[in-house]
Amino acid sequence: MQPRILPLLFAQVRQGAILVAGTNGKTTTALLLRTILAEQGWRVTHNATGANLINGLITALLADANGLGNLRTDYAILEVDENVLPLVLRDCQPRYILALNLFRDQLDRYGEVDTIGYRWREAIARLPDATTVVLNADDPTLSFLGQNLRQRVLYFGLNEPDLYLEAIPHAVDSIYCPSCGQRLNYQGVYLSHLGDYSCPQCDFQKSPLSLNSAEWGQILIGVYNKYNTLAAGLIAHDLGIERSRIDTVVANFRAAFGRAEELTVQGKKIRILLSKNPVGMNETIRAVQELKQQGKTSVVLMALNDRIPDGTDVSWIWDVDTEPLVALGGTFVVTGDRTYDLALRLNYSLEQFAGANLPNPPTLIVEPDLTEALQIALNKTPVDETLHILPTYSAMLDLRHLLTGRKIL
Amino acid sequence: MDLKIGWLYPTLMSTYGDRGNVICLQRRCQWRGIGVEIVPLDREADVSQVATVDVIVGGGAQDRQQEIVMRDLQGAKAAAMREQLAGGTPGAFTCGSPQLLGHYYEPALGQRIDGLGLLDLTTRHPGIAAPRCIGNVAFEIVAEPLATELRQLWNEPPIAIGFENHGGRTYLGKVAPLGKVLAGYGNNGEDGWEGAFYSNAIATYAHGPLLPKNPFIADWLIQTALQRKYQQPITLTKLDDSLAQQARKAMLQRLNLASLPGNA
Repeated sequence: MQPRILPLLFAQVRQGAILVAGTNGKTTTALLLRTILAEQGWRVTHNATGANLINGLITALLADANGLGNLRTDYAILEVDENVLPLVLRDCQPRYILALNLFRDQLDRYGEVDTIGYRWREAIARLPDATTVVLNADDPTLSFLGQNLRQRVLYFGLNEPDLYLEAIPHAVDSIYCPSCGQRLNYQGVYLSHLGDYSCPQCDFQKSPLSLNSAEWGQILIGVYNKYNTLAAGLIAHDLGIERSRIDTVVANFRAAFGRAEELTVQGKKIRILLSKNPVGMNETIRAVQELKQQGKTSVVLMALNDRIPDGTDVSWIWDVDTEPLVALGGTFVVTGDRTYDLALRLNYSLEQFAGANLPNPPTLIVEPDLTEALQIALNKTPVDETLHILPTYSAMLDLRHLLTGRKIL
Repeated sequence: MDLKIGWLYPTLMSTYGDRGNVICLQRRCQWRGIGVEIVPLDREADVSQVATVDVIVGGGAQDRQQEIVMRDLQGAKAAAMREQLAGGTPGAFTCGSPQLLGHYYEPALGQRIDGLGLLDLTTRHPGIAAPRCIGNVAFEIVAEPLATELRQLWNEPPIAIGFENHGGRTYLGKVAPLGKVLAGYGNNGEDGWEGAFYSNAIATYAHGPLLPKNPFIADWLIQTALQRKYQQPITLTKLDDSLAQQARKAMLQRLNLASLPGNA
């Protein structure tokens, strides 16, 4: 591939490119922003399949070019892999860079959160002033990044203490001051290490928000989708789109591929909740737990793969708080390339698993074959309940293929 | 009987699911009716807590966190750690924590970080552009008397499986290597050794986490800790490890090691 092609394509996007980076929420946020812009009549290019490496960006842009390589698009919304962002910024000038969060994900490929934060800072610092950087103020690494940039920075985040978690979950990466290394003081945590914080030692604190989150609704379910809504909404609003028009899109938004997506198969309702890293899985478990407590679900299918798009290291499942979910009982069907790793994780979640003295003791069904496991889970699901599927990325693609390809009907 | 598990810096050193090692020890005690207490040995912990735990578990950290740990693990606290490990308190140190027990670690960016100097080993990162050592790993534990004791517990060659992901390369001095690499990089990808064994301290790059899929190492830690504490021979009740056996079988097959004795 011609190395200069990406900057050439970038330069042709009439209204500019919007890069979306972050560990979790890229696809949902990009899809929401794309829908908002398209509703206003703009032509929008988007690497919709989650192809977020350099070749994926080029392919998406070329798909909207004519035979001469001329682009006919107003906006390009490009999801960019966190490790690839500095490469893209080396010779492309986006109109906006949106950074959603930095969680522990696929460390096997990329090394560590700190290293990524450092590379982002270096890469963005070299950009011209015309680029606007949109950051999650609730993430200390990103707030710190913004406070050290010369460019215009906008911040989204929550200012709603009602949404605080009771405790900081274990799967947390950055609770130390990115400036001086002191442990941060949290007034409250919304999700993982996202919250309201300040440093007791130096003057570092959460950056002031460019919006009031209490005035915003949200798409789908879960606090994580509130963040995604605010991020897309803030950029749309900054582009001059009226709030009422944004709110209409938010209210009518449908899920992206595998992200809280709902299907009906064999007369049973299914909800797929992509669970690709500890923070993501803690949030999907939180959602399933609430539904379990309401008696709306008793069967959960969990699928753990360790292919390249999943990350080849599966140790992260031990950073997930599976204990409260298992303690609620019900049927757990586990499958995937690393079935037994997942089975061990669930088995170690209870002081007593087999014959546990619980009102509804958990049952563990171990089935490495994905098709078999899905059929077992469907059979076990009562007609008036929803089967919840928590897959890693490649397992989600395979499951969706089975479900929508009607292979198992 | 009861056991106090000291967990080194739970929030700072738990990058790769290392909490799983603590959960594994805790459950395997509970399943046998052994009382268990988890003592977080973090920055707020005082020296007496370090000195009174029966087994110590430590995990991996990012470079910045590792620096914070090393700044804290000084003076009386460091002396208590040294005394515990030199005195034979069993421990499992995975990922980054072996670096902390060695002489020093040179990160890719920033200053050299001094370790406790308890294990005769050094670690250096060859630079931010150097590829990390990443992948599934298997090694046969050869350090004695550990290897013999593990055979007695497991009735099979003590082959450990796990996942390694480290930028730093570790080079051993006089300390005994923990095992011989069967698949993967090991300490540095050059000399074929993995980890180190000193007194009763197991140091290894293998996470996964280490203990759930190598339950014989977990049981050795529990047994050794109880024997030291109660000054009598301890025989642990057998547990159902069929899930761990299946996880091991699947991984050894994938690594083309299924034909090793005891893993047919």
